[in-house]
Amino acid sequence: MAFTARAENVSPLAALKNVLQDALAVARVGRRTMHYLIRGKREPGSVARQMFAIGNQSLFFMCITMAFIGAIITFQTGLQSKKLVPDFSMIGATYLKLLIRDLAASVGALPLATRVGAGIAAEIGSMVVTEQVDALRMCAADPVDYLVVPRFIASVIMGTVILIIGGFVAYGSGMLVAQLMFDVSPHTFTNLSLVTMGDLVLGVSKAVTYGGAIALVSGQRGLATFGGSEGVGWATTEAVVGSCFAIIVLNLVISTIGYFFVPAL
Amino acid sequence: MGAPAAPVGVLLALPQRVGAFLLALATQIGGVTILLGQILRRLNPARIDRHELFRNLNRMGVRSVPIISATAAFTGGIMVVQAAPFVEQFNAKGFIGWAATFTTFRELGPLLIGLIFNGRVGANNTAELGTMQVTDQVDALRALAIDPIAYLVVPRVLAMISMMVVLTILGDAIALGGAMLTADLLLDVDPRIFWASAIERLETWDFFVGLIKSLLFGVMIALMSCYYGLATRGGAPGVGRAVNASVVASAAGVFIADYFSTFVLD
Amino acid sequence: MIRLEDVHLAFGDNTVLDGVSLEVPPACIYALIGPGAAGKSVLFKVVAGLLRPASGKVFVDDEELGPLNEIELARVRKKIGMLFQNYALFDMNVAENIAFPLRRLFDLSEEEIAERVAERLERVALPGTEHRIPQSMSGGQKKRIGVARATIARPPIVLYDEPTAGLDPVTSQKIYDLVQEEQRAQDTTVMVISSDVAGVLTIADRVGMLHEGRLIFDGTTDDAKASTDPAVRQFVHGLTEGPL
Ligand SMILES: Nc1ncnc2c1ncn2[C@@H]1O[C@H](COP(=O)(O)OP(=O)(O)OP(=O)(O)O)[C@@H](O)[C@H]1O
Ligand SMILES: [Mg+2]
Repeated sequence: MAFTARAENVSPLAALKNVLQDALAVARVGRRTMHYLIRGKREPGSVARQMFAIGNQSLFFMCITMAFIGAIITFQTGLQSKKLVPDFSMIGATYLKLLIRDLAASVGALPLATRVGAGIAAEIGSMVVTEQVDALRMCAADPVDYLVVPRFIASVIMGTVILIIGGFVAYGSGMLVAQLMFDVSPHTFTNLSLVTMGDLVLGVSKAVTYGGAIALVSGQRGLATFGGSEGVGWATTEAVVGSCFAIIVLNLVISTIGYFFVPAL
Repeated sequence: MGAPAAPVGVLLALPQRVGAFLLALATQIGGVTILLGQILRRLNPARIDRHELFRNLNRMGVRSVPIISATAAFTGGIMVVQAAPFVEQFNAKGFIGWAATFTTFRELGPLLIGLIFNGRVGANNTAELGTMQVTDQVDALRALAIDPIAYLVVPRVLAMISMMVVLTILGDAIALGGAMLTADLLLDVDPRIFWASAIERLETWDFFVGLIKSLLFGVMIALMSCYYGLATRGGAPGVGRAVNASVVASAAGVFIADYFSTFVLD
Repeated sequence: MIRLEDVHLAFGDNTVLDGVSLEVPPACIYALIGPGAAGKSVLFKVVAGLLRPASGKVFVDDEELGPLNEIELARVRKKIGMLFQNYALFDMNVAENIAFPLRRLFDLSEEEIAERVAERLERVALPGTEHRIPQSMSGGQKKRIGVARATIARPPIVLYDEPTAGLDPVTSQKIYDLVQEEQRAQDTTVMVISSDVAGVLTIADRVGMLHEGRLIFDGTTDDAKASTDPAVRQFVHGLTEGPL
């Protein structure tokens, strides 16, 4: 991966070329994932096992992280609006709207990618360097079908669930900060008036997309591992950075589409 | 690959897991603190391997410029896209420049660059130190009477902290460029109005809050990644596990540091 | 039948296979010998379609692998069983490891699968170890589990990479006997890599010697024993004097 190029010297042009090549490689894994999603031979329980692994790894971490994020965002928003309009009556409504429309999914997806992406890449990467992936291929088990697809399904479902739970946690901690720092009562803070169906659709589609992107980028990076134990470390790094970058690019794309087609107000 | 446990099992396991988590947390905080002490001892008087320091500054800093720039530019854009509906509704085009700079300097810049830096440089550092550890290279250094903390850790920690601050300044600038461009394209906000509103309302302190934060994040990431790297055990899977643990611990550390500094630095 | 025609392969600037041509006739045991890092394991992976050569052709049963994509390659690989040098066992228990190819390739009942797993474990002298975890077993035991996994689906071609590494002489001989018996019973085509040259020559019909990416010898076992090439002589007879 270009951004984390192992070579000590890479020209910017070569780096750009590498980014495009990596994006293509991820797209190819994505295409094969879709193929096997329809045609593949699912091992019973494999998706459930991955869902459990993802939930088990990241739920606790995500709740803590999102609690802090919610507190920080509310505090910053409060500071900002204190300077502009010293009126906090709409702070809860605005925060909730932003949370649903973007923040819960997009901000939460970064720590989620760190946790889930690193896990997927480290696991698949270890299997590559110990030749287990070659052994799978000898048994007519395409690694994309056998390893990536269950993680993809699990990451889409569990990722979305965890991001939604994280959204609730962030809302709760925001409410707490609003009460303690700006004297906004939970009653005033809980205000659904600005939230529309479109916001909900936009937020959930972001969460679903990010969940899928994390699994595809990290799965591809894991499968492309080479070079022993150091290679596994590299693959993990690349998975985290690549997933975060994919999330940020996808966020810009989806948010721009949302701006034009899902009016906020 | 753990088997899905029955819900009852999960419930019963919860207190046990919280206990294990707290124990592990205490061990890690202790380990990181000891590492910090060891580093500080080597800084007085400072005996820094200049060659290692420059190699790491280049590797960790200069090599991160592309990913930091790309992320920052996109984030600046996203910030304005998200704010756009509100700006239009409240007719607040005169404020967007200030809102964008305020958010970027105080929060978004340090936090986002911290997270990417963690993934790119922190993880990398753990992988490298971890590989050296499991292949007995660290012990080989000791056998040659070279102090691994002074030779391996100190230059990395210094490089990471200073580069985190420098990259935050760069990232802030690029994010604001992205924001300005998006505001111009999407909302027709003239760049001059964008900057005027920023200069009018912004305080120098806002900028420094961000720098102090990025310094703290740099310390977090540097210490965690070195600690987990040197604590690696158990071959190739061990390196994967160490990177994983380090990235997650640093991310948690960054958020917690962010939370406290946000309140303290107000 | 396996045929390689002028195969070249390199990792970066490390040339590993430098123009290898060889043919393994059907129902033959072909021993591949050579010093460390000669490219033996890499050659197996080329035959199995796990690595694509930079140039040259690879045929398995008259089908060329070059133009096949990953899905079509899977069809060819069904004919091949492979024992990996470093075991490559999955993080599952012994029974699941051995049953894995059966489950992927055939639709068998659980009883049939359990029966065949037990039969394989019996053959590799590890009966009753179904529920153990390979990671907790010795190197030699892992090798034998690998042998069981490679042969359980009764593939017409079997590639054994160092089947006796880490085994005591008695168990080694048992494994060689097993390889030979099964090859005779089902007329499979077998390739064996072995550092135990004397042992593997007792069962081999043909021998190939790989050295620095080139096949410096290819012929019958008797020819190998009688070869006057200094490197081959040294290797086959285990001498310390010589070009290697
Ligand atoms: N995946 C890989 N990536 C890079 N280089 C590789 C890879 N696999 C093998 N090599 C290189 O190819 C060369 C031949 O390796 P190979 O494993 O085929 O040797 P070998 O003949 O099996 O040796 P041994 O008897 O020690 O097993 C070695 O130099 C090795 O470093
Ligand atoms: Mg080998």
